[in-house]
Amino acid sequence: MNLFEFLGNHTYRMVFLGTAAIGLASGALGAFAYLRKRSLVSDVISHAALPGALGAFLVAVLLGLDGRRLALLLLGALLVSGLAVAASGHIARASKVRVDTAMAIVLTVFFGAGMLLMRVISDGPYPGKGGIQDYLFGNATVITRADLATIVAVAALAIGVMVVFWKEFSLRTFDPAHSAFLGFGRRVDGLMSVALVLAVVIGVKAVGLVLMVALVVTPAAAARQWTRRLPTMVALSALIGAMGGGLGTYVSVNLGAVPPGPVVVLVLFTVFVVSLLLAPGRSVGHRLVQRARVRRALRETA
Amino acid sequence: MSFLVGVVLLAVVTAVACALPGTFMVLRRSSMLVDGISHAVLPGIVLGYFLTRNPDSPWLLLGAALSGLLVVLGSEYLTRTGLIAGDAPQGLVFPALFSVGVILVSLEFSDVHLDTHTVLVGDLNLAGFRQLTVGGLDVGPAALYVMAGVAVLNGAFVWLFYPRLKLATFDPAFARSLGIPTGLLNTALMLLVAVTVTAAFNVAGAILVIALMVVPAASAFLLTKRLSRMIAVTLVIAVGGSFAGFWLAYFLDAPTSAGMAVFQGIVFAAVFVATQSRRTVPVGGAAAAR
Repeated sequence: MNLFEFLGNHTYRMVFLGTAAIGLASGALGAFAYLRKRSLVSDVISHAALPGALGAFLVAVLLGLDGRRLALLLLGALLVSGLAVAASGHIARASKVRVDTAMAIVLTVFFGAGMLLMRVISDGPYPGKGGIQDYLFGNATVITRADLATIVAVAALAIGVMVVFWKEFSLRTFDPAHSAFLGFGRRVDGLMSVALVLAVVIGVKAVGLVLMVALVVTPAAAARQWTRRLPTMVALSALIGAMGGGLGTYVSVNLGAVPPGPVVVLVLFTVFVVSLLLAPGRSVGHRLVQRARVRRALRETA
Repeated sequence: MSFLVGVVLLAVVTAVACALPGTFMVLRRSSMLVDGISHAVLPGIVLGYFLTRNPDSPWLLLGAALSGLLVVLGSEYLTRTGLIAGDAPQGLVFPALFSVGVILVSLEFSDVHLDTHTVLVGDLNLAGFRQLTVGGLDVGPAALYVMAGVAVLNGAFVWLFYPRLKLATFDPAFARSLGIPTGLLNTALMLLVAVTVTAAFNVAGAILVIALMVVPAASAFLLTKRLSRMIAVTLVIAVGGSFAGFWLAYFLDAPTSAGMAVFQGIVFAAVFVATQSRRTVPVGGAAAAR
């Protein structure tokens, strides 16, 4: 299927736009997480989104609402993921357990709780429970028009928070001590976490919770190789994320049996490897050329 | 051996095998690396199954462990280039390897009977189902013996290299100056973690194995200040927690490995709260001000 047929098809167009929006938001917010050296917190967010979304589903069904409404599930995921980030931060601050261990604990325990909820749901007589398995590996083939609207709205919210608080975010990223001194310490951290949580939870259903971490880390790491300026890096990272999301789903639809999440990740990983090897001014390849040039100059003078 | 006894033993032996290297992973600030390794073994398991056709083959175990080691070596390389910042390197490598694994599974490349669901959470009861018979006598699940072998291997490693591991963990620079090959020791530890994760894969899956490896050690870390005592406490919590978690899941008819993970989380939360009240000056004070 060529790209035009792909985009002419309503279902595929929804999927394409949805994953591109997800990639755009996680790429943009991922740039800040990357520069703050806290990329892996996105893994905690995505795993904690499982019990959040499933809990919201249960509550909605018990209240007699439609449990499949994406906005509802996202709200649950948002609350529980936010709680998970706060919990891992609190454990690391208030005890001698270090932050990596705190993240690992929160990630696996929240995920375990999610699996318990999943058993409760799959054993129970709940309407509309089909497709809850999608959260694990993602299923982008079922993005409806309403889903797309929700995804775009939440992505816009995440990016909006980033744009409005741009100055605070960049100060906190590059000079945390000065930022804390000005009174923008923990509050800005909280806001950055909220924006990242927004960007990550919208991807969990389409890309899968296991692989969302790649959509946060990989575009940012690739973009970093091409530029030294923050606005350029954030924009480039968002673009790479959107491109990877869209192109990845296109390839996955063409392959048939393969879920889009892994394909998106491999597309992004390819972009990253190319950036790492070939980006001008900063890459592995650039260094080799530089070294050869210096060697030659040295030989000529000797 | 009855099925239930076999499965309980399997749960307990898995917890012990995981907890031993887990203590060192927690102390070395490599807890999230367990997450990376546990995902990266997947392509190795699929390829290993394609070549050996035997899920308990030691070759599959070794091959999968080597693919898990790719995360460690790959992220070390990326860090060494100086071009990738912070904790990003492992976050770059493991999703890519895991994706390759998922694609191989979903293309039914090697008709390995891995439900993509099982990949993440494992299935203790399924793992306990394949019984081993010796001379017509049913001696319990085959996975139990694999896991026990790994537990013995981990125990022997910690026993033999205990002083060196201790020094390399707490003061790597001093350890190097004494001529201890810290890099080699580190790689050996990571290889053992990868072997353990692979062996525990059927039991606990890629995500819940982190609960068995990291959480008991973290609880013990809060309770003690000596390495020897920490290892002992970790083992007690691992055995007690997996035993209690197993029965809890059994009576609630809940998935076993998820039940064990959540139970370990509850133990950690209890230890965390209990140790909070004992403190007067928060050690994390400097971090909180940041």
